[in-house]
Amino acid sequence: MKFNTYEFMVAYRFLVNGRSQTALIILGIAVGVAVQVFLISLMDGLQRNLIQRTIGSSPHITIAPPLSSPQPLGIGGDAIDDYPKPLKTEESEILSWQRYGDYLDGIKEITVAAPMVNGNCYIEKGRSSFPVIVKGITLPEADVIYKFKKNIINGDLRSGGNNVLIGVASSEKSGLQVGDTFYLRNQKGTGDYFFIQGIFDLGSSAANNMVVMSLDRARTFLDITGISAIEIQVHDVFAADGLAKELRGSFSQVKVESWQERNKELLSGLRAQDTSSFMIQFFVLLSITLGIASVLAIIAIQKSRQLGILKAMGTNDKSAARIFIIQGFSMGFAGALVGILLGLGMTELFMFGTKSSGGPTYELKITLTNILLPAVLAAASASVAALVPARRAAGLNPMEVIRNG
Amino acid sequence: MDDIIVLDKINKSYGDEVVVQVLFDIDLSIKSGQFTAFIGPSGSGKSTLLNIIGLLEAPTSGNVIMEGQDISGLDKNELASYRNEKIGFIFQFHYLLPEFTALENILIPYWIGKGKPPKEVVGRAMYLMERIGIEQSGGKYPNQLSGGQQQRVAIARSLINRPKIIFADEPTGNLDSKTSDIVMELLKEIVREDKTNLVMVTHDRDIAAGADRVIEIVDGRINCDFTVDRMGREEVRRELEHLACTFSGAAGES
Ligand SMILES: Nc1ncnc2c1ncn2[C@@H]1O[C@H](COP(=O)(O)OP(=O)(O)O)[C@@H](O)[C@H]1O
Ligand SMILES: [Mg+2]
Repeated sequence: MKFNTYEFMVAYRFLVNGRSQTALIILGIAVGVAVQVFLISLMDGLQRNLIQRTIGSSPHITIAPPLSSPQPLGIGGDAIDDYPKPLKTEESEILSWQRYGDYLDGIKEITVAAPMVNGNCYIEKGRSSFPVIVKGITLPEADVIYKFKKNIINGDLRSGGNNVLIGVASSEKSGLQVGDTFYLRNQKGTGDYFFIQGIFDLGSSAANNMVVMSLDRARTFLDITGISAIEIQVHDVFAADGLAKELRGSFSQVKVESWQERNKELLSGLRAQDTSSFMIQFFVLLSITLGIASVLAIIAIQKSRQLGILKAMGTNDKSAARIFIIQGFSMGFAGALVGILLGLGMTELFMFGTKSSGGPTYELKITLTNILLPAVLAAASASVAALVPARRAAGLNPMEVIRNG
Repeated sequence: MDDIIVLDKINKSYGDEVVVQVLFDIDLSIKSGQFTAFIGPSGSGKSTLLNIIGLLEAPTSGNVIMEGQDISGLDKNELASYRNEKIGFIFQFHYLLPEFTALENILIPYWIGKGKPPKEVVGRAMYLMERIGIEQSGGKYPNQLSGGQQQRVAIARSLINRPKIIFADEPTGNLDSKTSDIVMELLKEIVREDKTNLVMVTHDRDIAAGADRVIEIVDGRINCDFTVDRMGREEVRRELEHLACTFSGAAGES
């Protein structure tokens, strides 16, 4: 398509001449784009927030021996008296965990890979016993995942030897406080006395039912030769799935599971949300397109006299059509620009609003795609909408105008 | 190559179900360098004929030959650029674009055909405006101009591309008689100066009397054809006196 400069000139003059009409269309497009920018940012922010809450303080990838069912934080606290004595093979424990650790340390995407043991135990207090999960960790690594340090509500983090941290749930049901000593019984019925160094609140009832000690102490206490699992966090949570697949390729003897595989329901929920926000966007776009098409069609009728004159003087059909395409695109472009600013404004205002009202603050995610996608779509649909009047302009016979004055 | 336009058996009908024939077998050749006037009663088909010669409308049958070229072979786009390059139009209504200033309106035909006008073309537009006495009005919009000024802008616009032919359909029909005389005088002068051809439909006896050739159309056919060359100006004038119904004023018809 070869444009002639007068087409821009005529399109521009038509737009300026009908400035209230033009302003109205641009405003319409702008509102549409703004709503989309805001909506997408909100959805994106909410999703990220939800994912962050769900998996922010839990492993993104878990590597466990094939015979174990790696326990997500949601499981635990069952009666485990007749738990079968675990076999000490690579099948039930990761014996050569140091080798895995070295390998994982070399992978860039991984933030931390923390070795861990766990087992079901009981806190004995007088005649009562309270089921808990004992978790053995190495501190700097596990803290990246679980953020104990940040979530200590009483006491401090120093664990080591028989000093342990306990979750706020187990503290409440057993009545144990920082500084108390208690008896912990393992699966084989033997036990030991431990000292409570700190109490943490990780936000989930399962996690708050843990008794946390050093990896080495937990290994001897639970009689585990290797470790129960390696827990991994990665930089980009959405890349966890792909990385898990890769690791599965490299490690044939262990079970590798990503958070996506463990949270299928959450993901399908998010996907449903995506679908509905896509629908909303689609209909916003559709209404923009129809709105522009109808107003441009009116302009085409209003300007048919001018078009007839231009055609009498030698404007051909395609050129007449282009005058309207240019108008549609210009309005779409201007509307998209204003819409982006408006959308960003709404987003900022929303964040400011939630922050100042003390409500739960989540960062709305403003990304280039979130902004550009609706803008480009709006400009494109404005151009498509312009095809309607463009066809009318192309088909106009100058004689209709010349004859009828 | 003396004939700039040759019409060969031009017929024109309107309508699909009720067919009304407006022009009947018009044969005509128009010589280069002449001022030709079409006269005739209202509804006789003068505008239709002019629009066909001006390539705005296609005949139902017959051929239009311009400068020796049969234009029935041209498609819509070629016709559009032919009009742009070779033909200037002046209508009863000025048909200026209200969104553009007088100067811009004058330049539009150039802009359509060749893109942004260079200095020389703008200079020519200024010259034309000066020549027809609207040099003060270049920056004004059409609705800020009087009827006479608007029609002068339209004249300048018809001339900007140095067309071979100017078609004017009752160009002074909306002007008072004094303004009409001035505009007509300017048009004739500038057409002579530009060595272009003027073909005009008019209801004005005096204007017709000033033409080199007067063709009367009645009911879609050529009724009379007077040529100054052949008859002398006085004889033509005398003949026109008898064609009362053709002119406004005399017969009260327009
Ligand atoms: N588009 C059209 N459809 C039907 N009839 C038309 C059309 N244009 C012109 N006519 C008819 O053709 C006849 C000639 O019109 P016109 O050429 O305008 O006459 P004039 O210019 O001599 O007054 C008139 O009867 C008019 O009603
Ligand atoms: Mg007429």
